[in-house]
Amino acid sequence: MLNKLSENILDKFSMDFLRNQVLKNAYGNDDTPIAALDPRVLLVWYLFFGLVPWFVNDLPFLLGCFVLVTITTLLAKVAGLVLFLFGLGVFSQTGYLFLVTLLFGGDASAVAPLLVLTLKVATISLASITVFSGLDPDRLSNGLMWFGCPERLSFSISYAYRMLPMLMEEFQNVLLSFRLRGNPPAHESLWGKIRYLAYQIKVVIWAFYPLMLNTAKRSRTTVEALELRGYRYAAVNKEVKKIKLSTLQVRYDDWLFLAISALWVCLTVFVSTLL
Amino acid sequence: MNAVEIQHLTYTYPGAEKPTLNNLSLTVEQGDFLAIVGNNGCGKSTLCKVLNGLIPHFITGEFEGLVTVDGQDTLSADVGELARKVGYVYQDFENQIVRPTVLDDASYACLNYACPDYKDRGRRALAQCGLEGREEEYVWQLSGGQTHLLALAGAVSLQPGILILDEPIAQLDPMHADRIYEVLRDLNQNHGKTIIVIEHHTEYIADYCKNVLLLKDGQVQWKLPTEKALQRVDELEGCNIFPPQVTQAGRLLQKRGLLAEDACLPTTVEAGAACFSALPFHLPVTRPAPAASEAAEAVKFENIQLRYRSVKGEARTIFDGLNLTVRQGERVALIGSNGAGKSTLMKLMVGLLRPAEGQVSLLGQPVGDRRAEELGRLISLVYQNPEEMFIKDSIRADIAYAMQVRGVPDWQTRCDELLARFRLTELADRDGRLLSGGQMRRASLAIGVALNPAILLLDEPTANLDIATRREILGVLEEMKDVIHTAIIATHDMQLVCQWADRIIVLCQGQVIADGPRDEIFARQDVIDRVGIRPPEIFAMARRLDPAARCYTVNDFVNAFKEAE
Repeated sequence: MLNKLSENILDKFSMDFLRNQVLKNAYGNDDTPIAALDPRVLLVWYLFFGLVPWFVNDLPFLLGCFVLVTITTLLAKVAGLVLFLFGLGVFSQTGYLFLVTLLFGGDASAVAPLLVLTLKVATISLASITVFSGLDPDRLSNGLMWFGCPERLSFSISYAYRMLPMLMEEFQNVLLSFRLRGNPPAHESLWGKIRYLAYQIKVVIWAFYPLMLNTAKRSRTTVEALELRGYRYAAVNKEVKKIKLSTLQVRYDDWLFLAISALWVCLTVFVSTLL
Repeated sequence: MNAVEIQHLTYTYPGAEKPTLNNLSLTVEQGDFLAIVGNNGCGKSTLCKVLNGLIPHFITGEFEGLVTVDGQDTLSADVGELARKVGYVYQDFENQIVRPTVLDDASYACLNYACPDYKDRGRRALAQCGLEGREEEYVWQLSGGQTHLLALAGAVSLQPGILILDEPIAQLDPMHADRIYEVLRDLNQNHGKTIIVIEHHTEYIADYCKNVLLLKDGQVQWKLPTEKALQRVDELEGCNIFPPQVTQAGRLLQKRGLLAEDACLPTTVEAGAACFSALPFHLPVTRPAPAASEAAEAVKFENIQLRYRSVKGEARTIFDGLNLTVRQGERVALIGSNGAGKSTLMKLMVGLLRPAEGQVSLLGQPVGDRRAEELGRLISLVYQNPEEMFIKDSIRADIAYAMQVRGVPDWQTRCDELLARFRLTELADRDGRLLSGGQMRRASLAIGVALNPAILLLDEPTANLDIATRREILGVLEEMKDVIHTAIIATHDMQLVCQWADRIIVLCQGQVIADGPRDEIFARQDVIDRVGIRPPEIFAMARRLDPAARCYTVNDFVNAFKEAE
């Protein structure tokens, strides 16, 4: 039974799954309310929810912010893997401290300060997830460009997303070569299992060398094609930037989003002064 | 005005000792549909890169001579200016696509050159390339053929007068290949584009191209109208280019004195019908089909269910209740259009994918229960993309790896034997990735057979190869018959299928829709229409003369005439 379960988890966590999650994260949620917002509005919104919680220790306010960003994260339909990593991240930051406190006889009084810290980390992380994962990479990079980030950065963001699935597929195939031709140690005993794990890690490291060389070979064509398709022209041409940014538009929904967020924050501040 | 004029061009790559293009002169008229043929490494791709200005503006080197494209000297123009005159589609076209959605990619160049109407231009290019209705799709949702059309649309979007395509159909099934050439013909005839293709599928040259240019050692051997060019059978074969099968048959008949020495050789089935129908054609004696094999099972698929996760919406079903048995000693060809499930089937056999339901067994035991070490001796997979098989820094190390880690006795000697057998001894210490296409393929085969697997799987072993290398690979397969008991090849190459396989399995949307010897498969018109496979030209030729004929090779065909004497 346990064996089945562990096998199942490993199956789920294949490269195929990772690739799918990356794609899902980047492009799978372009029809959500969050994705429809103007990227500049979202970036401004993020500026508030990504910074302010650091400097405030008021519990009701933090709770309020946390609830809000949880809602936006849900609205953005973020891929499961990202949420899992988020959970793991928050726990490894502060959650374990909480458990350890309880274990060594701490009581509820220890909980409050830890809760504040956890809420801060969680709120900021969720706000980042909403913005960076809810928007598709192109809209995000257009938004960044409007705020004056160099064109190269925004191109890199969208190109990386275009390349990642290809890289992962290639990596998967290289790993398969090792699997078919390699000879992993037997892993029935405990010692065998440890050696097997070490072997797996070594294979992943070995696999990087062919992966990098193959990628280098591929990118030769890409570099030439970019040249032909005028990438360097565009990087220095102001006109191109203007055309690109002309697609950005702040609409009624954007104002509504900002208004609701502001209202909610005011409400939490109000509640905290009442208490 | 001529589209291209080249005078006395000599070009040497940086660091190379000999020039790749040597005093080359050439004119291409406006509106031409030109095929460039020649040996591997004769400078075809280099010539094309000269035309779009990558040489000498992006790739330096010693450049001498005058190149004018559309009246513009390429030395004084920059790459951007030339990009609007010359569109280029690479052989590895998927690396040319840099944007996530179809419309984005098609209009990318127009955006970069600051055309305010870039989206409309992109849409127009997509319509010209037959991709309308797919504007909003993501590029990884496209099939191989559609991806190629998208790369073409990206080049067409700037509306250049000249389009250059490097081996456009090397990786495509016949249906998609026809599609590409139909689009090219439309661009040529209705939009006035000059088209230049590097191509070694002479059947397509005969059907679509107006002129043929033979390059040899960096020089123009000749440029002739297609009809005349393909007549020069001996000269073409000397450069490893094989004329259409019909033309080859005609030449053989000439040599046997059945056709006059000065007769005009046919290049298409149409012409062949006119040319050969005067000759006595006797049906060759058909060999009785071998009885269905009763040998033990090599691979067995039982009720396989498999779905792929998709980025959005429902998972895509690949196999729904697939049952299939391959017996020991069989030589199986797996055919079907791009995306029919051929590669997936191979991945199931090596245990890379696990079915959601059902079971795959190798030699009577489920794949999942086999230990990895055992699996390597049982079954081996040679990928479509040989680069992914090179995991060490030299070919020798790659071939030796599997034997070395298993402690095979005398692995060094065996490695040397394999190197010799595949004519790789001289290249043994080089990195596999730096070899030519044919050498890479040989190396990947050597790696694949190193452990003497009972079952060998080959995914598209002849894609992207010129015909000489192809022949060689076939020879190797033939030689290895005693070692490899069961072999399964997934391929679009019908000549390979006809020459080699004794059982053909046709996959269509994850289902086996036909399974049997070649006589049975190619006689079924419904299968041919549904899957878009196409029997070799010589088969069609023979049936044109006699509907009951079954000729699979040029020799079969020619022998049918000989018996008449």
